[in-house]
Amino acid sequence: MIAVCIAVSTSAVADAPLAYQTIQPSKIVMGESAILRVTSLDSELQNVRLPEVSGLAFEVLGHTRQMEFINGTASESSSIVIRVTPQIAGIFSIPGLTPKSQPLILEVNTDRNSGNLPLTLNGKAPSPPPAPTPKTGNAAGIHFVADGSAFVQLKMPKRAVYVGESVPVDIEVGVRPGVVTSLNGLPTIKGGDFTLNNLSRQPERQEQILDGKPFLTMTWHSVLAAVKPGDFSLTVDTPITVKISSRPSEDEAFANLLGGPFLQNFYSSIVPKEVTVTSQPSDLHVLALPANGRPADFSGAVGAFKVSSDVSAVQMTAGDPVTLRMHVSGAGNFDRVDSPMLDRIDHWKTYPPKSSFSSTDPIGYKGEKTFEQPLIAAQTGEQTIPGLSFSYFDPETRRYQRAQTEPIKVTIDASRADNSLKEPSGPANPVTRLAGRTGVGLRPDHVLAQNFAASLIPLYLQPRFLALPATLALLLAAGLLVLQRAPRRVASKATERALAHLGAVARSGDSSTFFVTARQLLLQAFSERWRMPLEKITAAELDTRLGNDAEDIGRLFALADEAKYSGRAADGADVAQWLQIVSRQLIQETSI
Amino acid sequence: MKHLSMAALIIALGFLVADAGAQPADPAYSAAGLYNLANSYARAGKPGMAVLNYERAALLAPTDPDIQANLNFIRSSLHLPQQDEGGFSRVARLVSPKIVAWIGVLGVLAAGTSLLLGKMFPRRRAVWIAGLCLGIAGIGFTVCNAIVLEPRIHEAVVIAAATPIRATPVPMGDPLAQLSEAETVTITAGHEDFVLVRTASGHSGWVARADLADVVPRRSVR
Repeated sequence: MIAVCIAVSTSAVADAPLAYQTIQPSKIVMGESAILRVTSLDSELQNVRLPEVSGLAFEVLGHTRQMEFINGTASESSSIVIRVTPQIAGIFSIPGLTPKSQPLILEVNTDRNSGNLPLTLNGKAPSPPPAPTPKTGNAAGIHFVADGSAFVQLKMPKRAVYVGESVPVDIEVGVRPGVVTSLNGLPTIKGGDFTLNNLSRQPERQEQILDGKPFLTMTWHSVLAAVKPGDFSLTVDTPITVKISSRPSEDEAFANLLGGPFLQNFYSSIVPKEVTVTSQPSDLHVLALPANGRPADFSGAVGAFKVSSDVSAVQMTAGDPVTLRMHVSGAGNFDRVDSPMLDRIDHWKTYPPKSSFSSTDPIGYKGEKTFEQPLIAAQTGEQTIPGLSFSYFDPETRRYQRAQTEPIKVTIDASRADNSLKEPSGPANPVTRLAGRTGVGLRPDHVLAQNFAASLIPLYLQPRFLALPATLALLLAAGLLVLQRAPRRVASKATERALAHLGAVARSGDSSTFFVTARQLLLQAFSERWRMPLEKITAAELDTRLGNDAEDIGRLFALADEAKYSGRAADGADVAQWLQIVSRQLIQETSI
Repeated sequence: MKHLSMAALIIALGFLVADAGAQPADPAYSAAGLYNLANSYARAGKPGMAVLNYERAALLAPTDPDIQANLNFIRSSLHLPQQDEGGFSRVARLVSPKIVAWIGVLGVLAAGTSLLLGKMFPRRRAVWIAGLCLGIAGIGFTVCNAIVLEPRIHEAVVIAAATPIRATPVPMGDPLAQLSEAETVTITAGHEDFVLVRTASGHSGWVARADLADVVPRRSVR
């Protein structure tokens, strides 16, 4: 079994002082522990902050110091030894314990026979297991690093591609277990004219024998896209750490002969070194998309696609939303697959569409993109939703293609709310579902009366009805205003009527009635003028309030009493004179 | 006298116009008809439409015990909260809104006439004051009834099962919760095919207009 420690580095700093951490063994089974050693070559390590990795327990065992003599120069290093005990199986990423150290991978299997676990981080998303037996291959055409410990290959189609076209590529990194100690980062493409999309996080792992040497090969699948036309040469870089010997080979052989841990350590010459492996250049010819025949709705989709459409329901109620879906399936640059769907159609309310992509491969090159657009019918009856179109460029035929879907017929029923005053459809069920729940039932129907209302709005909130009390209020207010402004006129009219009546009595010659009537009129007039009851108007009151006229009025009242009780009547000349006196008093009362 | 005759004529014409406004037109509603329709929906297993028509019938006949009983029965069957009316509401809805409307008109008439006659014939002040108080009472009763019933105009009943209540007025808006069929909500705003509603529990959100039916049909709202 290969025990290789692969550290994934997110930021490799070339000139950083050497501080590294190792884990031995890097592959264990449940119940075992691994030793994590953090070593610093340029300063003494104090305590480090233990990492927190779900599923792993860390325990500091102690500190060690070592002194090495390399080419006569003494080199001191210090280490912290930490025991790592797994609690679950999986592959774990242990972050760097110091700013200068790289993260490590620890692989934990459930038992010895479980084989290699795929490279996953912290027990997540295992990928397919590697081949059980090493494959023997030919190293011809593979570009190794100088010591033959690693290689990188870029596999891509030989044909010319178009700008924006997604080109599936494979990046293969092979490392010698035991020689390469860590992979310090993901492969990167050299040059800014290409984008490397969707680099699969978990590479496929395979053990290979190349030229008689065992290699662990990791393959990433990705999609390459060119941003401009032209001829390009592509290479892929991968940073790794390898063990190299700093002593001549004869010294190394001597150290091996010495034996014993102290002397071996004293003569140890293996040191880690960071190197970058570069692939052999691959040529790629990138063509521009043709300008001729480019559809107006072309959104940049390049590939081979098929389209279809459907709706969420073919029969619905007016006002209910229905979802129109367009499915674009095939292979290509799905990130450029776009459609405005239906912008505006008669008798329908349209909403902006949204899309979702479902990939059938790990790199998002093949799959199906679905556009969903809500529509709301505004008219009842049978309606036709027009077909949808989608334009793309097919690199095989080297032409723009336009895919079209079939129109869809749907039936729109009247709104439920509009039917609220109609009897429910379907046969009436005497055994009610609702009534059946409690067994109590509904109260019986009522006898229909001929008492109808035009609206459910209360009468007093209907504008037409409100006109009535408003008119009434206005009329009454106007009446009050008239009364307020012309009280004298009202009084004078009453006085005119009273004097006319008194004149008629005088002309009839009935002096006794005249005096009685005159007294009554004057008393009423005085009562209203002085705002006091009739019975409280006495002779003294008349003297006080009337002044010089009090004598005449008192005489008239006396004559009225006399006429009432004795029947004595004054002559006609007297009646005319008294009529003038009464008229003067009443008119005076009105003018006040 | 001539003015009084003219005023009486105008008032009579006003009554005729107002009464014509209350005459049946298309569609015509009757409390009994709506109640029977609601019973039909309930028997057909459509609680939303049943509650809607019970609510409409209750607007025309608020004191009908059968309407309230069946409405409460449907709500309790669906485990919906009962609408508990306060004492003020119960008093204000003692009689039908149509009668209340005429009480209000008579109140205006009584109060105004009392004021007018009180000016013209101040000696019978007690009679006019009594008339004025009676008129004000009639107007007050009508106003209270209007305060109670006015919010009902903006209420709606959920007529679709499991109606989503959304954060935004679009069909794909995030659903916040679901409304039960036959639940009564208050409409506070509208946007295209959606209305902003407030539930009895105080939650607000957007609901598709097609999933609701106004207690007072919108075409009647002028």
